[in-house]
Amino acid sequence: MEVMEAIKSRRSIRKFTGQPVERETILKLLEAAVWAPSAGNGQTWRFVAVTDEKMVRKIKMFSPGLLGEPAAVIVIAQDMALVKRKGGQTGPESITKMDSAMAAQNILLAARAMSLGTCVIASFHPQAVGRLVKLPENILPHLLVSVGHPAKEPPPPPRLFEEIIWWEVYDG
Amino acid sequence: MDEGMDKTRLEEEAFELISYIIVSARNLLHEPARYGPIRLVDAASRLIGILVQHGLASGRLEEIRKRIEEGRLTGMGDEEERKSFLESLVLHLVEEVGPGLD
Repeated sequence: MEVMEAIKSRRSIRKFTGQPVERETILKLLEAAVWAPSAGNGQTWRFVAVTDEKMVRKIKMFSPGLLGEPAAVIVIAQDMALVKRKGGQTGPESITKMDSAMAAQNILLAARAMSLGTCVIASFHPQAVGRLVKLPENILPHLLVSVGHPAKEPPPPPRLFEEIIWWEVYDG
Repeated sequence: MDEGMDKTRLEEEAFELISYIIVSARNLLHEPARYGPIRLVDAASRLIGILVQHGLASGRLEEIRKRIEEGRLTGMGDEEERKSFLESLVLHLVEEVGPGLD
């Protein structure tokens, strides 16, 4: 699948078929994630791939934004101790969140190219999810990505190019 | 499923739903206000889902769940859509209850 096709056809999937996703496939998604850019090539992210149905249910209990029954959930976290050492003040405050988001986007596009559905979830309780997947205190979850075979794909919301893009200078 | 197992399963599913509601309440303190209605309607749908699993749902409850599931994909886009979707759900409930005394 061409990159632009993957970008434009990706949707946030909140209903899955229940069909499992192979561990090898999840590994490919994680490979895509770690090839994302990171500030100063810090690579301070940490990933926990949860595929056990019971664990997915447990995470769902503490993640109101996680909808449907995904085959897997990828926890995207950051080693905040390492971030503090490498990233000065802006690292912990903002830059690592961008790194997590860029890794997430790579997962979404790689998944789309494999006809899998995904959804990025920011609405969850980080400490609770951290405890469930046994993260040490210095590893902070930023995002969850649900992964599965899509049962239903919502229509694309409109994109308002003319209202948001300018050349050279802003003229809104 | 025997009665004991069914009760255990029901308690587990209720526990999951209660967790969802409590975590939602906590997170809504800092999340966008528009998430509130979404979480409440989702909780209603999940509750009906549990009742269906245990053979305790009725046709009217399943109809409400169907409407929520349909609306969740298409009716929660902007404020007007959300208002219209939720309004239609409320009016449907009134229809179900019926006017006046039985």
